[in-house]
Amino acid sequence: MSVKKLTELAMLTAVALIIFVVELQIPNPFPIPGVKLGLANIITVYAVYRYRFAETLLIVATRVLLGAIFSGSMMTLLYSMTGGLLCLVGMTALKRRLPGKYIWVCSVFGAIFHNVGQIAVVCLVAGRGMLLYFPFLLVSGCLAGAFTGLCAQFVIRRFETNILSHR
Amino acid sequence: MKSKRLLGLLLLPAAASLCLAGCGGSSETAAREYSKGIFAMGTYMELTAYGEQAESVLDEAENRIREWEALWSTTDEDSEIYAANHSQGRTVPLSSETEELLQFALKMARQTGGALDPTIYPLVNAWGFISQEYRVPSQREIGELLALTGYEKVKVENHGVTLPEGMQLDLGAVGKGYAGELLADYFKEEGISSALLNIGGNIQMVGSRPDGTKWRIGIRNPFGEGSFGVLESEDTAVVTSGGYERYFTDEDGTVYWHILDPDTGRPAQSGLASATIIADSGRMADALSTSIFVMGLEEGSEYWKNHGEFDMLLVTQDGEIYLTEGIEDSFTLEDAFSDREMHVIRK
Amino acid sequence: MTRKTRILLLLCAAIFLSGVLGCVWVLNRPRGTWVEILQDGSLIQRIDLSQARDQNIDVEYEGRSNRITIENGRIRVSQADCPDHICVDRGWLDSSIPIVCLPNRLVIQYTDQGADIDALAQ
Repeated sequence: MSVKKLTELAMLTAVALIIFVVELQIPNPFPIPGVKLGLANIITVYAVYRYRFAETLLIVATRVLLGAIFSGSMMTLLYSMTGGLLCLVGMTALKRRLPGKYIWVCSVFGAIFHNVGQIAVVCLVAGRGMLLYFPFLLVSGCLAGAFTGLCAQFVIRRFETNILSHR
Repeated sequence: MKSKRLLGLLLLPAAASLCLAGCGGSSETAAREYSKGIFAMGTYMELTAYGEQAESVLDEAENRIREWEALWSTTDEDSEIYAANHSQGRTVPLSSETEELLQFALKMARQTGGALDPTIYPLVNAWGFISQEYRVPSQREIGELLALTGYEKVKVENHGVTLPEGMQLDLGAVGKGYAGELLADYFKEEGISSALLNIGGNIQMVGSRPDGTKWRIGIRNPFGEGSFGVLESEDTAVVTSGGYERYFTDEDGTVYWHILDPDTGRPAQSGLASATIIADSGRMADALSTSIFVMGLEEGSEYWKNHGEFDMLLVTQDGEIYLTEGIEDSFTLEDAFSDREMHVIRK
Repeated sequence: MTRKTRILLLLCAAIFLSGVLGCVWVLNRPRGTWVEILQDGSLIQRIDLSQARDQNIDVEYEGRSNRITIENGRIRVSQADCPDHICVDRGWLDSSIPIVCLPNRLVIQYTDQGADIDALAQ
């Protein structure tokens, strides 16, 4: 891995972490565990489209692990790691079918995968009753996924046009 | 065009699920259910009966409950019990219902060796369980009041009761069970084959559920809310007594409950947390739940072996569960208590 | 737009729609007066809110505790040692959506299982 690539990945991880920590400070209007915007996923979506799978995996795994440490809730690590990895795998599989202006759709799918992974682990831990949450996670996940996806889409397409115009 | 067809496909499951949701609440035509909630005899009663005639029967049931309450209340100045308690030694005439109930209470007192005592009222009062101004009486006060108790001093003859001065009767430990039993008899006379009478936690069943299956009666968890197990039964009475029903805690954290041991005049410390009696007769179940709670596991088991004709379910203060062989197959523990061991008492 | 992209778009819409329907279903679930308190997926208590007296129930998990309060036939988590306090912020249990404290693995939800008894002997 080149130093340039390493620096880029490290910077993206740092940006994702900052976004994550800042979002933690915003009070959550929905008192349901797992329901949030997940702004740090803008970086994940961006990375999925700009880097190879292994490189994105590094970013996501590091961000989730450090995020859990920073927020002091190691117990949620299991849920977010499972969700994060599933989301990553799903988006990587779908990204070729959803290029350019459909990036936000890919992000929505990522959110759906994330929620499925999360709820599966939560059900294992807290019992099947937690399935009642799933529709709410799913709907909020879709909306949040669309939003973060659109943000990422904006960034990615802006980069593309910039790079093209500078050449 | 194509995308429209696809959209139609998508809406199909949505429409189907809406249909399902709408149809879920349908019910078959069953016997009509009538129910009535009544505040009486110092408790809340919920009477449910099935069948066309149930409505008028429930109205009459309420009338009868009011009559009995007027006869047996310890606080209503017009009641027969109040009259007896303030008779200053004179003989007071009794109605046939009150006489039968009092005779029964005295019979059960003799049979249980005084574990049930309808004359314990002055002590219950002294502990504040009537006024709910709870206090711990001094040992001297308890001793003096104990002299004013004793079921053997009560004389019932010629449709009247004679009570030594200062003594007081309370039919609370049998009255609700007796009312349930009388109501069940009345319901059956009127041709009702399915009814459930919840008389402040005393359960009296009439027949089975309207669909013919057995009633499912939860047994109160003495250490918390809700039930710890379910009993399937029909046409019986289920009565539970436990320290959780009414109690208070003093400054040292000692808990005092309303079921007093007639021997000591203090809350019964028999090692039981609750005693549940299942019997054909409601008044028997009511009387025995109190007396078995006072007796405890060993003496209670002995009593059951000698007198039979009922089943019981005992929970000790340590959380152990004992039940008699007759209900071994009809009682199941709730999931949360499934790790508890159940001990079966056999004859 | 390729055919596969269109299918993915529709699939996405379908999942979202079923999620919305699921929410409607959960919110309209009949709920009686019985609630259950679960920890780590196993039942701690089943309570008939219409009968329960006002009280506090303390539930511990690995040294951290949640205080559950029952008042006037309502139930909530009033105090918690968990880091996020989502369970406390939730307030009273007023819908079919359970109150959850994930860190302490606590769930409070309506249940229809208490309803399978006809009466409670107490």
